[in-house]
Amino acid sequence: MRWFHRLAVAVTALSLAVYGLATQAGQGEDPTLPLAESGYVLDDAIDDYADFMMSGGPPPDGIPAIDDPVFIEASEADLDPGDKVIGFYHEGEAHAYPQLIMVHHEIVNDRVGGLNLAVTYCPLTATAQGFERGETTFGVSGQLLNSNVVLFDRETRSYFSQITARGLRGEYQDETLAEVNLIWTTWGHWSSKYPDTKVLSEDTGHLRNYSRDPYGSYNPLGGYYEQDGTMFPLMHSSDRHHTKEMVVGARTSEASAYFVMSDLVRDEVQSTDRFLAVYAPDLDTGYIYSIDDSAPQVTSRGDGTYEMDGGIFEADELPLEKLVSVEAFFFAWHAFYPESEYVAAPTRVGERVRLAVEPA
Amino acid sequence: MSKSLATLAAILRIPLHRRLVAGSGAVYLLLFMVALQDISRGGRSLQFLTTDWTRMFERTGTVTFEPIAQLTLPGLTILLSPLNILMGAVIALLVGLNLAVTYIAFRQPRACSFNRSTGILASFPALLAGSACCAPAIVLILGIQVSSLFMTVFQVLIPASVVLLLVTLKLILDRTKPELLHQ
Repeated sequence: MRWFHRLAVAVTALSLAVYGLATQAGQGEDPTLPLAESGYVLDDAIDDYADFMMSGGPPPDGIPAIDDPVFIEASEADLDPGDKVIGFYHEGEAHAYPQLIMVHHEIVNDRVGGLNLAVTYCPLTATAQGFERGETTFGVSGQLLNSNVVLFDRETRSYFSQITARGLRGEYQDETLAEVNLIWTTWGHWSSKYPDTKVLSEDTGHLRNYSRDPYGSYNPLGGYYEQDGTMFPLMHSSDRHHTKEMVVGARTSEASAYFVMSDLVRDEVQSTDRFLAVYAPDLDTGYIYSIDDSAPQVTSRGDGTYEMDGGIFEADELPLEKLVSVEAFFFAWHAFYPESEYVAAPTRVGERVRLAVEPA
Repeated sequence: MSKSLATLAAILRIPLHRRLVAGSGAVYLLLFMVALQDISRGGRSLQFLTTDWTRMFERTGTVTFEPIAQLTLPGLTILLSPLNILMGAVIALLVGLNLAVTYIAFRQPRACSFNRSTGILASFPALLAGSACCAPAIVLILGIQVSSLFMTVFQVLIPASVVLLLVTLKLILDRTKPELLHQ
């Protein structure tokens, strides 16, 4: 039995040594983290969110963020027009982040048009959200909340929920990150609108199989992304739509709303009591505005522009308070915002009723 | 040297048993790397990439680590993570040894009274431990919803496999009579 004991001790010692060598990066940076002046509405108490967090498997930074992104020209990108990308445009600079790279890293600590931001993506909830990061960087905590990635800032190691942008634990608990609008679209749409865009390169500093998505596929749609079902426990669930139905949602400090993307594509303009959404065909995305019961008359001109108060505007330039719009799987939006306003389904074939639904 | 090690040495003196250990170990190592997605489908052209070797100590899971080299072939990508390969090789060796002694128990019942497949069953947990970013691959395949407890269990599957394989190997070796072994 002695050899067994020796082997067991040796295996344990080796494991401890390897664990000790597994160092964590990113200490000693400026702690200034830009925050929103007022947080988004929450449908649950912050402690309830924190308590509901669970491990998704990897340790903090086990899914490595890209901290020194390298970009290539659009002409050098090996992308199909139907491939999904996350886009961000700021101060004349456009960056595209291919979904097939983002699925392996989930965060890019980038700088675009002079703005330091963290481009974050959660494959399980299909959410791409950008947050100002100041001089610090963000990492993937390995924790999940409602299947959604939980981020942490490398300076204070506070944990943040991506979808709510809210601090869950640590120094920034209950604070809300300053969010910027990212676009979840296809390479074909993005490169047509921004032909001079730079594209995140596969030279990420990490080695991964970037031709493969471990969860499924968007081009064509398959695997997890089309299966009706979820992997991790949810705080709230509903069978109102298919779990993976894409919705575009927005929130203010008082309310939230979501619009089913396929319905918005068809109708082009939809509204609830406090929110109005318009479809932007050039990027195949939706923009959401706060209307606070003002019920503005917005009509599509059929060419991607909209008429309002006698003026003609692009989808993202209506003279209303524009909110950050987040595309997500329905189950994920509902898990965080079960009291969201939404447009009810048509009651009769051929007649679509736009119903502003009061929160449940 | 303990009796168990002497028995093991006697078993490995027979070429057929050595081939069995090497063959089954190699197959298991391959399966382990596929389960960890260090071997996966997809790849555009022939390419060999390397990165900073110190990355090999960065953890991607409870006991899985970063690759430091990548071989891409048309249709296949192989990530070389030294510590994953080391881990896989240790488990593969234990699987091979378990298989060899189980083979003896099956073919030479007089030499080994432990006629069961416990040793092989012990190798399965590590194969289930493959990770797909933030969810075990098996969860994706089965499309099931998992709990916090389930995730905790999943994170110790690889070490659990090592312990189980060691225990079963020891149990079988203790019941094997090296003097009765034959080719």
